Amino acid sequence: MATLWRAVSSSVGTKVVIALSGLALFAYLILHLIGNLFIFLGPAALNGWGHTLISNPLVVPAEIGLLLIFLIHVYKAALNWWDNRHARPTSYAEKKWAHHTSRKNVGSTTMIWTGALILLFVAIHVSAFKYGAFYEPPAWEPGVRDLYGLVVHTFLNPLWAGFYVACLVLAGVHLRHGIASSFQSLGADGPRFTPAIMLIGYLLAVVIAAGFAFIPVWVYFRLG
Amino acid sequence: MEKMTIHLRVWRQAGPNAPGRLVPYTVENVIPDMSFLEMLDVLNEELIAKGEDPVAFDSDCREGICGTCGLVINGIPHGPDRGATVCQLHMRRYKHGDTITIEPWRARAFPLIKDLVVDRSAFDRLIQASGYTSINVGGAPDANAVLIPKDKAERSMDAAACIGCGACVAACKNASAILFVSAKVAHLGMLPQGQVEHKHRVVKMIDRMDDLGFGSCSNEGECEAVCPKEIKLANIAYLNRSYLTARFFGGL
Ligand code: FES
Repeated sequence: MATLWRAVSSSVGTKVVIALSGLALFAYLILHLIGNLFIFLGPAALNGWGHTLISNPLVVPAEIGLLLIFLIHVYKAALNWWDNRHARPTSYAEKKWAHHTSRKNVGSTTMIWTGALILLFVAIHVSAFKYGAFYEPPAWEPGVRDLYGLVVHTFLNPLWAGFYVACLVLAGVHLRHGIASSFQSLGADGPRFTPAIMLIGYLLAVVIAAGFAFIPVWVYFRLG
Repeated sequence: MEKMTIHLRVWRQAGPNAPGRLVPYTVENVIPDMSFLEMLDVLNEELIAKGEDPVAFDSDCREGICGTCGLVINGIPHGPDRGATVCQLHMRRYKHGDTITIEPWRARAFPLIKDLVVDRSAFDRLIQASGYTSINVGGAPDANAVLIPKDKAERSMDAAACIGCGACVAACKNASAILFVSAKVAHLGMLPQGQVEHKHRVVKMIDRMDDLGFGSCSNEGECEAVCPKEIKLANIAYLNRSYLTARFFGGL
């Protein structure tokens, strides 16, 4: 136990914890996105899916697990950022990106800030949806929450739709560095693997951000 | 030969705790064939002639092999050339009238001594932490007694090219020494001779690196891009793998 603690507290271990928790959250995002696709099948499909999910007794332990992973990711990343700031007490008068083989990008330079904004977004998102208004679906199975109605009602407001799209762009920027970087932290590297994972990470970041952002845009323009 | 006038902004700081600032200088009659350090030598001779304190900077071999020189030039450690140290940089890279900003390596683990000179003995502490390697002595072994796959030998040799200049720390936004540590770990760990202490070496070096006040790795690869010996980021992944294996399966 003491060894494990030492291992995860070291600089390398810290990055491993951030990578593993980050990848777990990324995996959750994929499941979430797949679930969201039910909206395109209509109200009955989405509400049915939501009802199936919350009726499962495993959903509460899963939510607690997810929350823990999220908090570990946030805590370790914030601590790491704080320690790293102290590694250079006097900053350069002039510092440029080295380019050449460097992987530095907008995502990698803003991880802590995009991360902080995503944290804020998640809090707003959970309170707006999970703990948001409870609509009964009209003339449909009573006791089932009309998630579809809630989604449509929320995103018909251009402020909500715009806010979601903006936050999802930030999430994409965060993932653009995060996905590929996680593999490097875990020591997964190879002459063919590394270029492939960098490309896949980039594409997945775009797919995730665009996939989620499509829903508010679709609701606003097609159902509005 | 055409002579150039070069404007400099040089970090001057009298001592570790003295306040520092960028001081403007102008060097006339710079010959394009001069090396960057020769240009600084010319500046220093002028300063000495005027009775001023010359700019302190480090150099030794001036042929890119010792790792003593190290300046951040216009925001990039070792300047604009790839795979080269400051002493290998020449003034033909610049034009008449250019302004060049020169700063020291900046990291908590590399405290400033004077002007552009920093104390890089933290790297020596890391090498000390890495410990020893057990090598058989005695009669000369047969040439092929220990077989080493070609790719392993290559990777080890590539990592061994590290000259310990500290540009990786200077370039890293977290002032992390991990590229340096990974080069040392890969250099020995890739070879059968380095295996005996491999897992201990990895754990001790990482522990020491954290104690010395270096930051952690953000996987940006600015270090690799400025490294005069082009040490690869792949070594860091190897180091991470080695560390995890040593901690979780190596009983450390
Ligand atoms: S002085 Fe030796 S590497 Fe530059």
